[in-house]
Formats: sequence, structure tokens, C-alpha cells
Amino acid sequence: MRDVGDTEIGGFGISRKDDLLLVEDFLTAKQTASVVSVEFDDVAVADFFDRQVDLNHSPEQFARIWVHTHPGDCPYPSPTDEATFRRVFGVSDWAAMVIVARGGQSYCRLRFNSGPGGSIEIPVCVDYSIPFGGSDHEAWHEEYKTNIQVKRIVPRGSFDTAFDSVSLCNDAMAGDEDELFEDAGFGFEFDPFDPWEECQCEI
Amino acid sequence: MRIMYINNFGGGFADHIEIEEGTTVSKLFAQKIPDGRPEDYLIRVNRLPASRDQILKEGDRITITPTKIEGAAA
Repeated sequence: MRDVGDTEIGGFGISRKDDLLLVEDFLTAKQTASVVSVEFDDVAVADFFDRQVDLNHSPEQFARIWVHTHPGDCPYPSPTDEATFRRVFGVSDWAAMVIVARGGQSYCRLRFNSGPGGSIEIPVCVDYSIPFGGSDHEAWHEEYKTNIQVKRIVPRGSFDTAFDSVSLCNDAMAGDEDELFEDAGFGFEFDPFDPWEECQCEI
Repeated sequence: MRIMYINNFGGGFADHIEIEEGTTVSKLFAQKIPDGRPEDYLIRVNRLPASRDQILKEGDRITITPTKIEGAAA
């Protein structure tokens, strides 16, 4: 699911009732996502809660483990991630923020809000001692198409040419400055400035 | 009067509770999440957005969920 699209993907881990840190499923809700951000639809989150309760799941099982992806190879939380974790999940007795980077790295921080409070980074691993179903790429693609509204990132300024895949590490426009300025409807006549020309010292 | 109450505050809750007749949405919110700001939550009754003055009725289902869950790459 992590690699289904070019964007971040956010969702909730569904835990086993008798082992809340054992995530048995990952479910998304409708969201707007780009290569660098993800934002859940508030109504979809409410619908998600209602559906999970109808399935006889307790909030501890479905609303405590916030999982999202980073399309790059850095799994560490951004200031936005931290702010959301504090504001949204800081009111529960406990919560975990899990970030899975496309490069394969992951990050998980378990936060306790009761008592003196505190947080601790914990490792993420696949528990092969528990049986689980196989990959279902078709279902993942369907869920991505249904729930993730892709927000395209366009270059700053008035360029009207969006691009489908952005790599923050490799500047997709590097070396194309002339064409880009041409698209924007203006150009430059480059007049090299020679600082020595007007500021010659007379000795 | 008995209603269904769902939220993720504290230990989390999804069960029936007893409330007084005439309890409004804002009164229940203040009782259950005393330090919370209503604008940080989506409050729905029977899966529909609720106003603060809405009076809860027997059998209603009130869901209080967080808003603006967002993330960003570093």
C-alpha cells in the first residue's frame, strides 16, 4: 500500500483487541495528499469512527495508531506531524505515530498521556509468528483511488505546467530555467555585470 | 435517558451512557471533554453535523472526532 501512489498516504492501524500494539490491518479514510503532505477529510474520519464502532471495535483498537507514509527515504516526523500528534492524539491515554518511508525505513513513537506522561521510540517489525493474508495489490489500488485525492504540486510562480512526479532530491527542473521562464511569458536579456567597469580605482 | 456516545478522549469510549433529559450537545461536550475546544472536533448526532444547542434525544448516537489530522514530509 505504501508504494501504490506518489503521494503520502495516511490511515489508522487496526489493533488486535488483546494486543494493542499488534497492528492487523491498515485502513485509510478520504484524504487529500501530495508528495509532501496528507490531510484527512474530517467527515471521513467521523465516518471511519462510526463504521469501526459498528464493527464492535473499541477506540483503542482503531484510533490510537496513526500511520502515514513519506514518499522519500526519511521516516522522521516533520513539525506538522509533531503538531498533529500532540493536538489530536495527545488527548488519548496513549497513542502511537508510525511513519513508513518508501525507502524502507520506519519510525514509531509511543506516547503516554496519562500519569506523568512521556514518549518512547519503539521498533517496527513484521510478526511472522502471526498468520496474515497475502498482498492484495488490486484492493490497495482501489482503496487509493477511492480515498486519496491527489493534490499536485506545481512550481512556485505562474507556471501552468504541473508535473506528475516530483523528486525533492533531484530537481526535476534543473537546467530548464530558460524554458520555464519562456512558459511564464517573460524572458531575460542577460547583461553581465562587471563590477570593475564602473568602480575602477584611479591610482 | 440513554444515548450512544463515541469519542477518543482519555481511554476512548464507544458505549451507551445515561444523560439528563434536555441535555444539549454543548453541555455534554463540556461534561465529557472539559478542557477541549469544540472547534477542534467534529461533533455529529446520528451521523449528521450537530449544532451546539441541539437537544439530545433517547437513542441518539453522538460522535465526537478530532479534526485537521494532517501530516507532512520533513
